[in-house]
Amino acid sequence: MLRPQLIAVLVILAVAVVSAHAEHAVWSGLVIAENVPQPAAIPPELTKLEQTLKDLFGYNQFEVIGQSNKTLKSGEEDWLATSKYFALQCDARGENDAGYNLNLKLYKEKDVLLETDANLSKSSPLVIKGPQVGSGQLLLVLVVKEEEHPQARHHRRAEPANPIRAGFNRLRRAVRRIFP
Amino acid sequence: MKTFEEKWTAWLDGQLSGRELIEFQSSLPDLAAAEAEKRDAHKLGAFLKKEAGSHALTNEEFFSHQLRERIAAETRTQSRGGLRSTWWTVPRLVWSGATALALFVVCAFVIMTQQQPGEQSEYLTQILKTQVDPGANPNATISIFESKNDNKVTVLWTEGLQTLPADYAAK
Repeated sequence: MLRPQLIAVLVILAVAVVSAHAEHAVWSGLVIAENVPQPAAIPPELTKLEQTLKDLFGYNQFEVIGQSNKTLKSGEEDWLATSKYFALQCDARGENDAGYNLNLKLYKEKDVLLETDANLSKSSPLVIKGPQVGSGQLLLVLVVKEEEHPQARHHRRAEPANPIRAGFNRLRRAVRRIFP
Repeated sequence: MKTFEEKWTAWLDGQLSGRELIEFQSSLPDLAAAEAEKRDAHKLGAFLKKEAGSHALTNEEFFSHQLRERIAAETRTQSRGGLRSTWWTVPRLVWSGATALALFVVCAFVIMTQQQPGEQSEYLTQILKTQVDPGANPNATISIFESKNDNKVTVLWTEGLQTLPADYAAK
């Protein structure tokens, strides 16, 4: 008697889990920052970070020369953001409670300039200062975004979803303040 | 001439003597039963006298008695106050404190082993490992920090990378 209901519940749960995992996308950008007399408007992907970037690097214009917007479903996807001479290769190696484990490689043509392993948080963008390019500066920017999906709008939040985990982390930070 | 009841009452009170006593006792059909009745009457009299006397306190005596009882009770309470027993004896206090401390240490240890010392908060992006091509950039240095504002941006800051010509800024 209960078997059809149980199967229906499991199917709903599976759909919910799949849709929850399909919410995020990682925007990766190759950005040239420089000071110009009449700066262009900042690209929409960087609007939230505009003041932070200006404060950090002291430039007034940020131009995206290459980008990728990758929706992550399994958390183990690969993607590439390329410009004419640079390429940012991103290799996602799984998702955890805090974000995505990424291996990042910055290529200048065929040479690897920089390689880093990072745990990209869903609530903390990553900015990498690259080499000086002419009078400007190459920046690598990675941001986890929530997909503009009808279901996703109801779940938009900056912190990890699990309140028990979040509470545990607060306790852990409190203990760490006592025993640094 | 006394009636039997008058003689009986006088006999009970011990007021008969001499020939009158002998005549009265000889007139009794059962002297042993009469003696038993006399003893019971004496006991009853003594009992009534005692009970009636204990309640015969005047108001002043009663008030004074109450005061004395209260003073005595309070004196007893005060004298026992210093020796009042409680569950929190010194050994139990020591054991409770030691147990709480041990639990705290165990919990702290468990919590701290959940994360490596170098790790950052999960709310921030964590840089696990970074390397720069040492051949092309022998003087490169790397530092990691977080922005001070609300964006919680994690910054991987490199210095000493080889400068490239402006052509490389092409899309």
